[in-house]
Amino acid sequence: MADTALAQEKLFALRETISRMEGKTLHRLDGGPKASLSQDLVRIAENNAASPLPFDIPPLDRVLDGGLPRAGMAEIRSGELRNAGAATGLALSLCAFLQGHQDEADGSPAAVLWVGERTVAREAGEPFAPGLRDHGLMLENLVYALPRKLEEALWLAEAGLTSRAFKAVVLEIAGNPRRFGLSESRRLSLRARHAGSLLLLLRQGGGEEAGSTLFRIAASPAPSGFYRLPDGSLLSGTIGAAGFSLAVEKSPKPASSPLSQAMTIEWNAHERLFHEPEPRLPLYRKPAAAAHPGADLSASSDGPDRKEKMGSVLAFSRAS
Amino acid sequence: MRLTALDEKALGLGLKRGQGLAEAKAMCPDIDAIKAEPEADAGFLNALADWCSRYTPLVARSGMDGLFLDITGCCHLFGGEENLLSDALARLAGMGLSVSGAVSHTPGLSWALAHYGKAGSIAERLVDPARAERVLSPLPVAALRLEADVLEALSKMGLRTIGDLLDAPRAPLVRRFGQRLMMRLDQALGREEEPISPRLPVAGLSVERRLAEPVGREEDLLFLAGELSRAMLPMLEQRGLGGRLFELSLFRVDGAVFHVHAGSSKPLRDPRRMEALFSGRFAALKDELDAGFGFEIVRLSVCHAEPLEIRQMDMGAPVDTSQTLADFIDQATARFGADCLLVPVLRQSHVPERASAFLPAQEMPVRAVSSIQSGSASPFRPARPIRLFRYPEQVEAVAEVPEGPPVQFRWRRTMHRVVKAEGPERIAGEWWVDGEEAPTRDYFRIEDEAGRRYWLYREGLYEREPGMPRWFMHGFFA
Repeated sequence: MADTALAQEKLFALRETISRMEGKTLHRLDGGPKASLSQDLVRIAENNAASPLPFDIPPLDRVLDGGLPRAGMAEIRSGELRNAGAATGLALSLCAFLQGHQDEADGSPAAVLWVGERTVAREAGEPFAPGLRDHGLMLENLVYALPRKLEEALWLAEAGLTSRAFKAVVLEIAGNPRRFGLSESRRLSLRARHAGSLLLLLRQGGGEEAGSTLFRIAASPAPSGFYRLPDGSLLSGTIGAAGFSLAVEKSPKPASSPLSQAMTIEWNAHERLFHEPEPRLPLYRKPAAAAHPGADLSASSDGPDRKEKMGSVLAFSRAS
Repeated sequence: MRLTALDEKALGLGLKRGQGLAEAKAMCPDIDAIKAEPEADAGFLNALADWCSRYTPLVARSGMDGLFLDITGCCHLFGGEENLLSDALARLAGMGLSVSGAVSHTPGLSWALAHYGKAGSIAERLVDPARAERVLSPLPVAALRLEADVLEALSKMGLRTIGDLLDAPRAPLVRRFGQRLMMRLDQALGREEEPISPRLPVAGLSVERRLAEPVGREEDLLFLAGELSRAMLPMLEQRGLGGRLFELSLFRVDGAVFHVHAGSSKPLRDPRRMEALFSGRFAALKDELDAGFGFEIVRLSVCHAEPLEIRQMDMGAPVDTSQTLADFIDQATARFGADCLLVPVLRQSHVPERASAFLPAQEMPVRAVSSIQSGSASPFRPARPIRLFRYPEQVEAVAEVPEGPPVQFRWRRTMHRVVKAEGPERIAGEWWVDGEEAPTRDYFRIEDEAGRRYWLYREGLYEREPGMPRWFMHGFFA
């Protein structure tokens, strides 16, 4: 009996050490009275780390240990470059989510630094200001960097974090570059935690890789929602709120929350909030002839009442 | 091929300027002819002009072989005109150049003396205004910087020295040789102003330090930059200014001069931040800044300054992010250049690729903190993708003719089946930019089976516009 208690105490001490090294809050895993031995430690750790922002989506909050952390490094990756839209969208949604909460908190704008990548910009397009604004980001507070090399990108991300000017830094990298290893990842994560900002590592078209991130999410696109009409009904056949399918590959709390299957969430750009998808309407297999909602655009040529050509050809009209 | 310039030895052999190379080779078979490089000569003269800015900021080039230095108000720093001239000539001679110079109250007189004056002591090359006419009269008329045809006409008339011109009545001379002759004469004597145009703009403020022992290490240079910034501080404070563009001039022992520029996005006065800017610039320059045997003069100038208001510090307030943001932008720009950090801005255009632009972050004015909730995807606004291809990529699409949305399309060798489509949103070209023939585009928002959302457009209309319509991929939605 005494032996098991001693072993548990040792085990708890080890967990405590690891948690401290990872900069996480401690969890009372067993809920027993032994955990109270280090309650003051728990309190200190909780004071150090600002409380995470809850998404108000219970399964996601559970897996991510309370929601979006305000400080530290997190990874979002897209397995293929053609899913770059979804991964970028999710990362920017998280930034906009943070900006929205910052506005509510103290009114000062939360600046965002986006360190881009040249290959991705060529393969998947460059940021488009009207679209970013529609997505919920405040353009006045966005700085986009396009460095030439990975070393420059790392320097920019680190300097951005150190300056404490940004609430969120998005570091985009293509694939799994050799020069971005464990030590770089550890260094950036420490910087982010120290600066109290969120560093989102956006890995485009890369595989799973160990790193010193709080969590890692594989983002892929999911079917979008529908437009909601003023009377509350949904308009079928429309492309509404953007849907993301998230597979949490690494969780800050792996012991207490088993990694769940991919879940789908939608981003409401107007409210700058995430929500769970609504019950779906049956999808159209084939798009209707006039696909724009409510617009009955008639075909402007080739109508049935086109007049026949009259007479015989005397001279050809100009070909161009 | 002709000879354009000769050294002393070649002149001694009897060769002349303008002589054919073949003829010269026939006269002296073992001469060494080098191809003339006017651009390299001009570059060398510019480098010399930079070097001369150790005496005065106003240095102008004169033709291909001379420099004008406006030393008004600078002489006392070097112990008088005579010391300045002898110092400059000695240093230039030390570099292996044969130089002659003169000091007078007009550029014209200095030029004449430097080119045609008797070789003698330095004192004879210093002319005060009272002696100007006496010094000028024995010199040949060529010393007046005149055109070749005027010189020829003058020599035909028997007017050989400037003294002959001074004695002659002015009106007939003007009638015969034009206004220019008298203008040059008046300029040389100081009756008429002659401005010189400095090669580089004169900095509003500058501080320099001359070193007894040359330094070459980056840390020493940074330390000096910091010292100079601290010396600059009271001058900026007195004028209520802050610098936007700084220049650090480094004069190397062997005569080379380096200019390191560092810009700031906000008016700046704080010596520590100025030092940080230059540390970023030094990191970016790396090998371009070759210290060689070391630098002997270091000068910090403010090229562009703006008013800087002083604000009382607030102890309780949170950290001002706009200041830290400006610091970060300055640092990154100093290291990687202005086109590395960009700010997206919206522009007034309905053509998608013109609706968004990136401006260098450093050039953006201080952004006002807007309290407006800009994050709103209004349902009344057409949706736009978050990533846009710079060059739209062509796709093969199957679509209903003439104006239906695509049913499926092949992009980058992959087939995508369309599940949902919205459109068309018709965007015509801007006739005032693209001309009236620009094809119309019909944009569709597309969602494929996997849920990826694309922005596709068909360029051209069936039957109504010339050419076959084609389909393009233009961007990704979130």
